[in-house]
Amino acid sequence: MSSDSRRGGREEIMATSEISTIHASGWNIATACIEPLYNLMVGATEVVLTIDLPYVNQKQVKLGCPANDVLEIDAETSRKITFKDLGIKHRHGEFTCYHARIRTPFPIDETKIKTKFKRGVLEVHLPRLK
Amino acid sequence: MINGLPDVGLVGLLAASHLISSLKLEEVGSLESDLLPPMIVLHGGLPKSPVRIFANDSLIVLISETAIPVSLLRPLANDLAEWAQSNSTRLMLSLGGMAISNRQDVDKPKVFAAISEKGLESKLNGAAEILEEGYIVGAYGLLLRRCAETSIPAIALLTQAYYNHPDPEAAAVTLTAVNKILGLDIEISELLKRGEEIRLRSKDMMHRTQEEMSKMNKSHEYDLPPLYG
Repeated sequence: MSSDSRRGGREEIMATSEISTIHASGWNIATACIEPLYNLMVGATEVVLTIDLPYVNQKQVKLGCPANDVLEIDAETSRKITFKDLGIKHRHGEFTCYHARIRTPFPIDETKIKTKFKRGVLEVHLPRLK
Repeated sequence: MINGLPDVGLVGLLAASHLISSLKLEEVGSLESDLLPPMIVLHGGLPKSPVRIFANDSLIVLISETAIPVSLLRPLANDLAEWAQSNSTRLMLSLGGMAISNRQDVDKPKVFAAISEKGLESKLNGAAEILEEGYIVGAYGLLLRRCAETSIPAIALLTQAYYNHPDPEAAAVTLTAVNKILGLDIEISELLKRGEEIRLRSKDMMHRTQEEMSKMNKSHEYDLPPLYG
């Protein structure tokens, strides 16, 4: 797969993930990426984000802030995952990464982001930008 | 009777599904309603209702493989209580999750029990701490109250869990509590061993369940009730 086609696919994921009323399948075969489950807890001074990343090691997680109210998460899986591995025989696809682009309810200070990773769940503390 | 409906962390559904396969319970029925989504689920190449009932001589287990729509919660609770009363059910045991914000820091989630009558505390055998104050939003809360009104012994076991991440560890802790309460010996090691696979396979179900939990204001459970009992 070329890097261009991969990037294009990711943009497609971003677009669908931002339309909250439509549930995309979350399994993008073109980019081999899974859209992970995430939860945002909004506090007065920070947002705490948890992201469920089964089959991921801490070293495989990358965070980025393309804007001060957007967090991007990319993580390679420790092994290739197929629908067959999950007991589904009528769909074909291989997945090797997770990708999510999450908008925060207020601008965040990307220099003060703190993370914890335990049992495949990433917790990210995103302080409000002062 | 045990209920394993999808809610917080899919705890009840994962625990009940594991219980069904561990005890090799037989499928004996299904729940049909116009309020359910127009869908079936295929298992072993055969069409099934997403809400099904499994049983052996002493146990009945209800599970749902679809998020229960908010409009169905009250009729479901009423019908389950009515069925339990007409069949002299000895105990209505509902399995679910209780969302906590610091779940990642909790190695062994606690199990709490909401009970329909005071006498049920002794049935817990120390498996769970009584939930004295708080809100329960969804089918289990409505069912507990209906059971209290109709004198059906009912316990809702709520285990600390991630709100919208499938939580097989919490499900395993729940089953340990079920073992103590019902005197069963369900092995949980397989549930823990397959944790990552279960989390990934349950991802879409969790997403759908989260949508329904938002509609029913499930986050109300974080609130403190203003009055003392």
